[in-house]
Amino acid sequence: MGEPRAAAARKSVPTYCYNCVAGPDPMVVTVENGIATSIGPNHAAADVHPGLGRPCVKAYGLVQKTYNPHRVLYPMKRTNPKKGRDEDPGFVRISWDEAFEAIVSRLKNIRERGLIDEAGLPRVAATFGNGGTPRSYMGTFPAFLAAWGPIDFSFGSGQGVKCTHSEHLYGEFWHRAFTVSADTPLTRLIVSFGANVEVSGGVCAVRRHADARIRGIKRIHIEPHLSPTGACSAEWVPIKPKTDAAFMLAMIHVLLHELPRTALDLAFLRDRTSSPYLVGPDGYYLRDPASGKPLIFDEASGRTVAFDTAGAVPTLEGQYRIAEAVTHLPDGEVGEQRDVEAAPAFVALTEAMRSYTPEWASAVCDVAAATIRRVAHEYVDNACIGETIEVDGQTLPFRPVAVTLGKTVNNGWGAFECCWSRTVLATLVGALEVPGGTLGTTVRLNRGQDNRLVSVVPGDDGFMASSFNPTDRKNWMAKPSGRNAHRTLVPIVGNTAWSQALGPAHLSWMFMKESPPSWPKPSVPELWFAYRTNPSISFWHADRLSATMAQMPFIVAFAYTLDETNHMADILLPDATDLESTQVIPIGGTKFIEQFWEHKGIVVRQAAVEPQGEARDFTAIATELVQRLGLLDRYNAAINRGMFGGRHKTEKWDFSLAVDQAHDVDTIWDAVCKATTAELTDGKDIKDLAWLKEHGLFVVPFKRTDWYLYPSFVAQGLRFELPYQERLMRTGEELRRRLHEHGVHWWDDQLSEYQPLPEWHDVPGRWTRAVESMGGKPADYPLWAITTKTMTYSAGNNSGIPLMYEVGKNLRGLGNVIINANTGKRLGIASGDWVEVCSLIGATRGRAELVQGCHPDTVVIPGQNDHWKTPFAKDLNFPSLNTVVPLSLELTDATGSGADLVRVSVRKVDGPKARAVS
Amino acid sequence: MTRYVMIADLRRCVGCQTCTAACKEANATPPGVQWRRVLDIEVGEYPNVNRIFVPTGCQHCADPPCMHVCPTTATGQRDDGIVTIDYDLCIGCAYCAVACPYEARFKVDTAEFAFGDEPSTVERAQFDERKVGVATKCTFCADRIDAGRAAGKTPGRDPEATPVCVNSCISGALVFGDIEDPDSTVARLLAENKSFRMHEEAGTSPGFYYLWDRGTL
Repeated sequence: MGEPRAAAARKSVPTYCYNCVAGPDPMVVTVENGIATSIGPNHAAADVHPGLGRPCVKAYGLVQKTYNPHRVLYPMKRTNPKKGRDEDPGFVRISWDEAFEAIVSRLKNIRERGLIDEAGLPRVAATFGNGGTPRSYMGTFPAFLAAWGPIDFSFGSGQGVKCTHSEHLYGEFWHRAFTVSADTPLTRLIVSFGANVEVSGGVCAVRRHADARIRGIKRIHIEPHLSPTGACSAEWVPIKPKTDAAFMLAMIHVLLHELPRTALDLAFLRDRTSSPYLVGPDGYYLRDPASGKPLIFDEASGRTVAFDTAGAVPTLEGQYRIAEAVTHLPDGEVGEQRDVEAAPAFVALTEAMRSYTPEWASAVCDVAAATIRRVAHEYVDNACIGETIEVDGQTLPFRPVAVTLGKTVNNGWGAFECCWSRTVLATLVGALEVPGGTLGTTVRLNRGQDNRLVSVVPGDDGFMASSFNPTDRKNWMAKPSGRNAHRTLVPIVGNTAWSQALGPAHLSWMFMKESPPSWPKPSVPELWFAYRTNPSISFWHADRLSATMAQMPFIVAFAYTLDETNHMADILLPDATDLESTQVIPIGGTKFIEQFWEHKGIVVRQAAVEPQGEARDFTAIATELVQRLGLLDRYNAAINRGMFGGRHKTEKWDFSLAVDQAHDVDTIWDAVCKATTAELTDGKDIKDLAWLKEHGLFVVPFKRTDWYLYPSFVAQGLRFELPYQERLMRTGEELRRRLHEHGVHWWDDQLSEYQPLPEWHDVPGRWTRAVESMGGKPADYPLWAITTKTMTYSAGNNSGIPLMYEVGKNLRGLGNVIINANTGKRLGIASGDWVEVCSLIGATRGRAELVQGCHPDTVVIPGQNDHWKTPFAKDLNFPSLNTVVPLSLELTDATGSGADLVRVSVRKVDGPKARAVS
Repeated sequence: MTRYVMIADLRRCVGCQTCTAACKEANATPPGVQWRRVLDIEVGEYPNVNRIFVPTGCQHCADPPCMHVCPTTATGQRDDGIVTIDYDLCIGCAYCAVACPYEARFKVDTAEFAFGDEPSTVERAQFDERKVGVATKCTFCADRIDAGRAAGKTPGRDPEATPVCVNSCISGALVFGDIEDPDSTVARLLAENKSFRMHEEAGTSPGFYYLWDRGTL
């Protein structure tokens, strides 16, 4: 402690922080006389945790979170049947028994009538906020969900519009990269398009980038405003919002049209990509008529052969006359190709990029052509083509350059082009999934979440296997299985555990309000679970979304304090929070963002202090629910299968839980600890929960070579499915046919994204046109409004914690509207003035903060804080972008995501708006 | 002779305020009192703009003006350079707060709490009446240093003997140690890098150094 205090019974309790997706990170809680007093690093983890065992600022809010006097500490029920922002819920305290009975009687009734309703949709829905991190706090509740059966996870709380959505989908398709990172420990140059890693990359990223700066890395940060990441970069390049793809297309142009071919990694392009595949006149690969395999032109034999012909040397350039070939067209149709001219996909790429000169991009991006050209040159100059590095005894290519993408760049219209360009820039210099280059760090749509390499298996045409939702006439799911229609509308999202939540998460809310032509309005779920989520604040068009939420007939909210979402709830359940409950989760290996370690294992969160009030451990809540529902056997079986770590029973060990019994919290996690450590050590070093509680975490080595996909690709002779997108083109055409066959034409614009090679389509202009189509005049909304994160808040879970507010205010912008100083002057606005930011759907107010580090056409509203119910937060009078961004089908891309920005006007006003609520 | 100093490597600092929060929690300071904090400074004109994050707090000056103006000798200086305040002697005149060029001193006249008038459970447990109505500031976690040293630990190397802000720093920007020990990390960093001290012209000889390789701020 910094200052002497009276002697106290003091202990340090190891646990973890997983407040944001960039975790988990080890930490310790100091407990004095049974009260948690402070958070600190777990120095014992410094040797294995890339962040040296140190949690970020958010963790330090957990003490106030625990003792927040505004907590909901007892189960409560609603007494006012009317729901709405202006309705007093009339919550009254009830017993846990009454709460369980209220929930279980509903659930039993649902089970009796069937888990799926007449519309084919699950009667029960569930939403968990903040990028899946609630799973690390909800104990065994996922086993309850598994025991229950079909549940609709499509009601978004921010995913799709607040995440790097296109990266999740296309990244995972191209290189098992649900999240993407530079190989920061080795790279030399990062071209960052708004990737705000110093704020949202977590402690592993912050430490690694700081170390990298000291060793001399150069990071060029391209973003409309000067974020902390821009501040910590060697160079900040301001750019107009939503023009990043133009910048990257111009970089590709420079590489392909202005630099010699020796600037490229031709061997990588030839052997590890689709670049040599010959493209026929109809845009599909020319294939061998007998085998159906894509053709290449073999320099060695001087003829066309199948791509996998032994000894063949594929060519990347040239034009060839092909006597006979076939193309695989949509719906299994075969195109007969005789005596046709064809060129490798690399030639098609080169031609497609011909017009995207830096001068062209300059006019789009408001960045000097010389700057774009220089960045492209620096990228190539640092790529170290031909160099190798030794990793774990293996010699691998060393390509220390990476392009990284931030949110808004990476979702909504234009994100496909950005993701494609970023990944193609990596392939052009052989910097994809090799040391120093661009890496994926986790998978979510494929299986193998603790080691993404296991999902790398051969598929069609020499590429890695990827499972799309079917688009053929027989198997396409015309009738959605969830309210966001992810299997119907988004083939690339697949259909695994995370797929539904990664579908078009705003369509559920939109369609419940108003569905498009030829589309049935989805039924309202009969029971909705909400945990660590506040979509009334964290999603767009917040007022409208709240009104839609109020239609839900029965909402069970696991409630920390009252907030804008559980204001609509029927039952509030107080769960034991971060410092009060127990759970064991995987740690290390390769996970979200920059969590790639040289170790992997498990980490424990434990009850450092007793729960406040009647708050209960989530595992105890889940067990009670399944016991009352008669689902204990399915629940325990899910745990035994290894849902929370290792398999409980193998030939070598058996830590199975008896399936017919209700086990207490520690018994369950003790079995998980033993099973998982057994699996990690092949049964040689088994640790129980008591050991984990004392030591905090258990890890074993994780091979650094497993950070990279490249060795797996070489071993299996695979190619990255880049640059040409034949499969996407075919899939898009099939989807178009299916939708049109069913009279659906409102998704046609989204179908335009299924291109073999991207074409620029005036991405920012889509927002201007949206103003027109909503009945406004673009000239009335001359500015862009965007948002940015603050480390203290991340996704907003800390909004009711005063410590986070106090220290967050040390940084500029929190609670304010950031405006370029000259723009402010032109509008007659001074720093500290109250301003109103208006879009076509609403207005939000905050104090102006005039800065130099912001594009003149752009204003920035940090965070998402337009609270009207959450204690403490509601009195701050913060503005929020979510209040002014519309839920818009027009601004939804093919993956079902939208970008977090809107066209606005800004004017000086007298003060904040009143925010009264019952 | 030992002189403890702190280094803030401005090339590393990201302005996250983890040190600020860790200090506040470890020292149970009331709302608005930040013995450690990180400034957010912008220089230049669009589009040629820099933004720099500067950790600050008591500089533990070798020649501390706060000590010279103190009428009660409440402010003192240890042999290891740490500037101290004896709350029993402090009369709360705040001359020191005025004299400090670094705005590092704080004084609250009434008890204040995070959630309003009433203290939360943890605030009640940690409330120290001695800190109301007197000057307070960063102590370099002197008690940790002393307890750590008594246990055979080395300040700046072993976490048990190192200020909490340094322990908490996620970017590795904050470093602590004995500048007189040539083998210490602080001595090595200062020898190997360009550095400056804040308001050096004031002649206070701060014990807080900034590593920075881009000239003056």
